Amino acid sequence: MNIMIGLINGMIAAATPILLAALGGTLTYYAGIFNIAMEGMMLSGAFFAVLGSYFFHSWIVGILFGVLGAILIALIFIFFSIFLKVDEFVTGVGLNLFAVGLTTYLLRQIFNVKGAFTDPGIVPIPKIQIPMIQNIPVLGKILSGQNLIVYIALIAVIFITWLVFKTRFGLRLRAAGYNSTCLDTSGVSSNLIRFHSLMLCGILCGFAGSFLSLGYVTLFTENMSAGRGWISLAAVILVSGNPLGIALVSLLFGFADGLGLFLQQSLPSQFTSMVPYVATLIALFIYSIRKKKKEALI
Amino acid sequence: MKRNLFVNLAGVLIAMLLGAIVMLIQGYNPAETYGALFGYSLANFYSFSTTLRNAVPLILTGLSASVAFASGPVNLGQPGQFLIGAIFCVIGGLYVDLPPFLMIPFLLLLSMLGGAFWSGIAALLKKFFRMDEFITTLMLNMIADYLTYWAITYPLFEPRANHPQTPLITKNGFMPKWGNFNTNVIVMLLVFFVIWFIFNRTIAGYEWRISGKNSLFARIGGVKIEKNYLSVMLLTGALAGLAGGLVIMSGPHRFIKGLGANYAWDGIMIAMVANNGITATLLYGLFFSILQTGSLGMELITAVPSELITVLQAVIVLVVVAGRGYFELMIAKIATRRKLKDRDIHPQFIDQNAINREDTKL
Amino acid sequence: MMTDVITMDHIVKVFPPNVVALDDVSVTFREGEIHAVVGENGAGKTTLMKILYGMQEANSGNIFFKGNQVRFNKPGEAISSGIGMVHQEILLIPEYTIWENVILGVEPTGYFGKIDRQKSRQKVKQQIDEFQFHLDPDARVEDISVAARQKVEILKLLYRNVSFLILDEPTSVLTPQEIPQLFDELRRMRDNGRTIVYISHHLEEVLELSDRITVLRKGSKIDTIESSGATKRSLSQMMVGREVIFESIRKQQKTGDVVFDMSGVDYSFPKNRPLLQSIQMQIRAGEIVGIAGVEGNGQLELVNIIMGLIKPDHGKIEIQGDDFTHASILERRKKISFVSQDRANMGSCLNASISENILMTHHRLNSRFSKWNGIVLEKAQINKFSEEVRNSFDIQMDSTDAEMRSLSGGNQQKTILGRELSLDTPFLLLDQPTRGLDVGSIEYVHEHILQMKDEGHAILLLSADLEELFRLSDRILVLHRGQIVANLETEHTSIEEVGILMLEGGAQ
Repeated sequence: MNIMIGLINGMIAAATPILLAALGGTLTYYAGIFNIAMEGMMLSGAFFAVLGSYFFHSWIVGILFGVLGAILIALIFIFFSIFLKVDEFVTGVGLNLFAVGLTTYLLRQIFNVKGAFTDPGIVPIPKIQIPMIQNIPVLGKILSGQNLIVYIALIAVIFITWLVFKTRFGLRLRAAGYNSTCLDTSGVSSNLIRFHSLMLCGILCGFAGSFLSLGYVTLFTENMSAGRGWISLAAVILVSGNPLGIALVSLLFGFADGLGLFLQQSLPSQFTSMVPYVATLIALFIYSIRKKKKEALI
Repeated sequence: MKRNLFVNLAGVLIAMLLGAIVMLIQGYNPAETYGALFGYSLANFYSFSTTLRNAVPLILTGLSASVAFASGPVNLGQPGQFLIGAIFCVIGGLYVDLPPFLMIPFLLLLSMLGGAFWSGIAALLKKFFRMDEFITTLMLNMIADYLTYWAITYPLFEPRANHPQTPLITKNGFMPKWGNFNTNVIVMLLVFFVIWFIFNRTIAGYEWRISGKNSLFARIGGVKIEKNYLSVMLLTGALAGLAGGLVIMSGPHRFIKGLGANYAWDGIMIAMVANNGITATLLYGLFFSILQTGSLGMELITAVPSELITVLQAVIVLVVVAGRGYFELMIAKIATRRKLKDRDIHPQFIDQNAINREDTKL
Repeated sequence: MMTDVITMDHIVKVFPPNVVALDDVSVTFREGEIHAVVGENGAGKTTLMKILYGMQEANSGNIFFKGNQVRFNKPGEAISSGIGMVHQEILLIPEYTIWENVILGVEPTGYFGKIDRQKSRQKVKQQIDEFQFHLDPDARVEDISVAARQKVEILKLLYRNVSFLILDEPTSVLTPQEIPQLFDELRRMRDNGRTIVYISHHLEEVLELSDRITVLRKGSKIDTIESSGATKRSLSQMMVGREVIFESIRKQQKTGDVVFDMSGVDYSFPKNRPLLQSIQMQIRAGEIVGIAGVEGNGQLELVNIIMGLIKPDHGKIEIQGDDFTHASILERRKKISFVSQDRANMGSCLNASISENILMTHHRLNSRFSKWNGIVLEKAQINKFSEEVRNSFDIQMDSTDAEMRSLSGGNQQKTILGRELSLDTPFLLLDQPTRGLDVGSIEYVHEHILQMKDEGHAILLLSADLEELFRLSDRILVLHRGQIVANLETEHTSIEEVGILMLEGGAQ
């Protein structure tokens, strides 16, 4: 039983950063931006979260810094892709590399270390015990006692769904993606909507990054986002942006990740570490088969 | 052509200026730092030949990305293809022993085969299941990373080493050196000329270029898009694989953990900043190698961390690409102004319209 | 006395590098009139209106709105001043419902920016009833007809209290029966005190609908006149600068063997929606067969099937006796020259050089352009060939190394035509070969097509322009809902008869 609970909690932990980044990605997806900078935003977020938490001995400042760190990347993205009209793909790749460079450089400059920084002075984000619920057998250990960011991610799913489908912002956001000229001629600047969506994406990726370095583990390592931004992009593409679908797909990736940890007893760790990426390929594969069938049916 | 050169030089200068500002803020002397940087990579034959050797994988992965992007396929799999090429080369070098004049070509071919094998997987996934190569190659990168890590930890592990690495490959597979000049540079230059020729002077290259710009037009013109897609994917995979093989044969002569990490995205970055131009890729590859090789010297002499160069590279890419777009906009503006002036200067232009107007009134 | 609403004064617009789109154009619009702006393709009508609407910026000149100088930087500012524009290509969000499209940008909201659905729908419904538009506010735009979409666009502007309405070629997407209804609606709006600017190049429509007419030619304003005194003839002379007589220039000629033979071709997509049904046609050497039909009746599918871009469900295509039904595109190109209606995407590669554009297809079919067993390009021959095409088709360009996009539309089309006609194939497929060209270029293209016919090529011509079909074709096939409903000798039919067949199909 404990193994099962451990597996499920592992799944949730692994799914959270992907979910948050993918929710950010979904906003830019609806706005019609080919945003591949989630990886860089997350990485920058993870670094600055550690920075804030370490120097101010506060996880709250840590999260704040993490969000600001991700927003920094988002702002550069906005400057280049919206303001200077540089190709979004080039901007994204450039920024992902910029984030890698920046974080390793600052790691070196500020903490005087190479590779990884860990210190007892880094305050992690707390786990939240929910009274009453935590006493329910089995379920209590899953529903309660998760990291704060996990609950934030859950709220974010509901909030983003509402935002995209029920509000004025959502109507304009999707219009920007479907036909930006139409939105512009309706008197709303599609660039402004894109700006907002990228900022929101930055905030969500900031939470994702903070979770990586202050929740999942309490340390920063070079390139610690490890392709999660790309996986979340794949998740967005798989469900064509639907936030609830993203929650499901993220859990699936989390499951694959957790499964990897579980399999570590019988397989070399290198193979188990591959699982999320193989899972992404398999998911894309199933998606393409389904798409083919659908097309055949019409 | 001149315009192009200007935009690139200006972009690089602006980026380096930004770098200088960062140094100033942190209390370093920019002139001294850049001096150390270029001194270490260019000052004498020894350092320049090191720079050249280090440029080989950058240029080859850069060519791989440039050819792919300019022909259509978004092959982002250079890091993975590089690693698989390297591991193929190591396997060949561990289990086969031939005289050098056979061994070297054999290993080069083997590493190309490895890279092509890895890009071929992505190509087949696209062909049969229409899975976008830009995601599959990325995932295959991560998989290649762990796969090679496993290979050097278990089956190819060198027993006496205290961290994962393979034994040395056969001496016959080492790239010959003349002093500090490594002959891998010659291989790279040969490959460069072949690629340049294929891309610019052959029927296939013409078809690739046009397909990269407008695939519908090419298709309706009788170009076999799918076949070309496959050949471009295989060729660019082979180029990245060759880069991996050459790194093994000219450098550590074995597969060490983290081998590809230094070249991971550099090829893609170089292709982007070079706007997928073949010659520009060669030049930028060389330039990035100067920066990377010099960064060690910079750190030794001025205590500026070598990681600054990673940041600088990304800034160069963004600034040059943005500058290119901005410059075109400027040129359009200048053309407009000139045209407006022309209207005022040439009276007959307006007269002609006046005459027309009179005509129609009648 | 009607008051002036908008005055555009000495407007100049240059498109880099060297196209003067508007050269010192001044025009005044009065309150409560329907004002037509007419001119050929490329005369600058749309550009002028886009400048007024804030979608493009003038290089010099002023705009006065109710006496005050204004400059709209974006459409939103024009709309809030009461100026609205319905574009040629319809600008709506197909995935949204009608009411969502109408309120986009001025949404009634409740708390926290939540859209007030109830109120929005009701307001839109009310507006629909007021203008008798007969639309269902909950219908999705992608599911409604083109004419209905146009109404939604107008509705969208009326919802914003627009009093000055610009319509860019609104009838180009309508069927002839739908036009009178649109005109009624426009007149009703004028009678309510709104000003309507109507961009068109259909002179009959303009004469029927408008109060005043402004004529543009090649970026210059020719004149503004009262419609009451104008005739179609006088207008067309102002538009083109000389008298245009489009009369048949066909020569009677003996036709040869059957070159192109299509039989029993069916195509459905999706499976239950037939787009082409038992298409049968034969074209002989030295014969031009025209296809008439309202857009969207299967023309696109027909072209794609002949070119091999899609596979027919049944049927057979033969050229000179060889079965081409399943041939690859390259195989087909040995026998088919193809001029696409989509000049920018299918017909050419705008960011490649002109000589690279000319080389396409030839590079595989003519061994002259390669050496070493067809591997290496033969540069000298390619340059020579580009020059030949340039000279024989009179293409105005700086150099064959210049980018295709630097050419004007007419010269791009000449380049494409030059490439395709030099393939010298027995069969030619021409899909709207003169779309968007000015009169001079059209005549030039027509001459070349007729010359090909004289040389004994079999030609299939698709055109939305009936006059063009009558001018060139020997026979006209009418395509209606994916079926060929008539096969007429051009000699023995009339534009009127073909028009009715296009709309109503055969005698079923």
